[in-house]
Amino acid sequence: MSILIDEKTRVMVQGITGRMGAVQTMYMLKAGTKITAGVTPGRGGSRVEGVPVYDSVEEAMAEQEINTTVLFVPGAVCEESCAEAIDAGLKLIVLITEHIPTHDTMRIRAYVRSHGATLIGPTTPGVITPGKCRIGIMPTHLFTPGPVGIITRSGTMSYEIAGLLTAEGVGQTTMVGMGGDPVVGTGLIELLDLFNKDPETKVVVVHGEIGGTQEERAAAYIRQKMTKPVIAYMTGKVALEGSRMGHAGAVFVRRRGAMENKLKAFQEAGVPIADSPGEIAGWVRKALIG
Amino acid sequence: MILYEHEAKKLLKEQGVPSPRGEVAKTPQEAAEIARKIGKPVIMKPQILILPGGRAGDFQTAATPEEADRAAQGLYRKTLNGQQVAELLVEESLPVQKEVHVAIRVDGAAGAPLILASLDPLSDLDEEAKASNKVAWRHADPFRGLQSHEARKMAKGLGFTGDAAVKLADQIQRLYKTYSQWNALAAGFNPLVMTPEGNFLAAGAFLEIDDSALFRFPQLRELSLSRIQDPLAREGKTIGVTYVGLDGDIGVICTGAGIGMATVDLISKRGRPANFLETGGGITEKQMADVMRLVLKKPGLKGVFLNMYGGINPIHEGAKGVVKVIREDRVSIPVVAKAIGNFQEETWKILEEGGVTVIKTIPTDRAVDELFKRLEK
Repeated sequence: MSILIDEKTRVMVQGITGRMGAVQTMYMLKAGTKITAGVTPGRGGSRVEGVPVYDSVEEAMAEQEINTTVLFVPGAVCEESCAEAIDAGLKLIVLITEHIPTHDTMRIRAYVRSHGATLIGPTTPGVITPGKCRIGIMPTHLFTPGPVGIITRSGTMSYEIAGLLTAEGVGQTTMVGMGGDPVVGTGLIELLDLFNKDPETKVVVVHGEIGGTQEERAAAYIRQKMTKPVIAYMTGKVALEGSRMGHAGAVFVRRRGAMENKLKAFQEAGVPIADSPGEIAGWVRKALIG
Repeated sequence: MILYEHEAKKLLKEQGVPSPRGEVAKTPQEAAEIARKIGKPVIMKPQILILPGGRAGDFQTAATPEEADRAAQGLYRKTLNGQQVAELLVEESLPVQKEVHVAIRVDGAAGAPLILASLDPLSDLDEEAKASNKVAWRHADPFRGLQSHEARKMAKGLGFTGDAAVKLADQIQRLYKTYSQWNALAAGFNPLVMTPEGNFLAAGAFLEIDDSALFRFPQLRELSLSRIQDPLAREGKTIGVTYVGLDGDIGVICTGAGIGMATVDLISKRGRPANFLETGGGITEKQMADVMRLVLKKPGLKGVFLNMYGGINPIHEGAKGVVKVIREDRVSIPVVAKAIGNFQEETWKILEEGGVTVIKTIPTDRAVDELFKRLEK
């Protein structure tokens, strides 16, 4: 099993003819992802990596089997592109694009949720269920199937965590990049809940960082509802107050978004916090043995 | 992009929010002149850039133009939040019946704007503020915005009644409109003052515009760049990367924010990083050359550490830029790089041929160990 995506996932790529969309379509296909359609207005009738391209989501849906969409479209048009996918009836949207205005993201999130759909991202590396489906931009060879769920606020940290687990022979059920923005489509608690319900997932590794309150709130969920071990790794201990550390959401001012709140919350919830990436595999092994 | 208080007040005025009579002074003489024109006691506020919720700048009051001159001389000598005070906002000091603190923030948990109001200064933690029985709060629907009946309920929640409640609600709604119009991450009154005559004026105000929305405000593009204090951070912005200056001597270049933060965290355990730098997705040979040159500008560097992942980034292209700078600029300090992902073998080859110590294993802690071994040689 896995969460969100598996071998039954049929993917549409919005923005498939762009530089990033085309390259990542190639990598996704190589990883075994079933991509049935692409969309770029004005490019209907062409093909990218053999995938048929349509002018609109509606036209793609009429001809192909699609249950998930991934977006590589520019920030300024994300709101419209997500709405187009929702209006056509899609229920899972993976929004890779960085630098989307936060006001747009709040509207996208509200629209998606009011239609009972799920949004992953923005500013996400995507979602991968190793061996079955890769939606996003991650280096495939760092991932391998196994019992660990991974949730991160950063693309590169997801590669580091999965890569070092894979190198130690510990595979993953699914890795989900939550995204590094102040507002994300699906948050830490919701993803922990999905892993909690997934029988194949035995341990969950969470990467958190400064900014926001996701980790603090998740700690309460872990204490009350999580039936599986959770290991945390936190970044942003050395940060300049008031400076965004690369992610729009990674910033602290005085106590707001500060690391201490997050470490304290995880400690109180009994969540082991790895001091460095190299320690993560050890904690995971220990948790797997029980 | 953080605005100066006087700029925030100007944008609020365009939405119909009045602020006390006043002007910006660049010298003590100007401050005294403005005080004379106002003809009443004034308040003088240093104009510095500070994220909402940050430590507020010092301010001083003056009863006469002479006092204003003297107080201004002291204020212009100050450095606040790392910034030399260059401008003072000199405003009429208002008689205060009541003060209302209002903040609109982005609530990540709710995915919606959170509006907080209180007669006391607001906590910087949303949860703490919401838990206080002295705070009126609500979320706004991201599509509809803050409705007037919702704003009136907040005003009533603070104990305002009748005409005063309607007037206060009106100002809160105008603040929301400004927040929405300018795609702000935060906006607020600190505070909004009710005078004995029952008028509401923004005595203090703040506004932070979302950098990701600046494409909607081309008039602010140049200005937003000039607002970045650190020249190296400003140069980073122009080449499309995030550079944050730290006080150490090991240059850091990473291809993502998460791995960038992990890297400076780990280097800090044994040494001192000179900077945080993350490229985001979409590096090129030229951009990585620019990035190398940017990081090398910091004086006294002992070495440079690169942590690169080839996910969305073509790291083999980036590697070419790195070694180009090493060759052309005759870089003599050690350069150590961890590179993993798509095209890793090609990347390793390019880096090694350029004299870079390459680490081919994943954990960043081990790579940092190698960096320090190399530095100690």
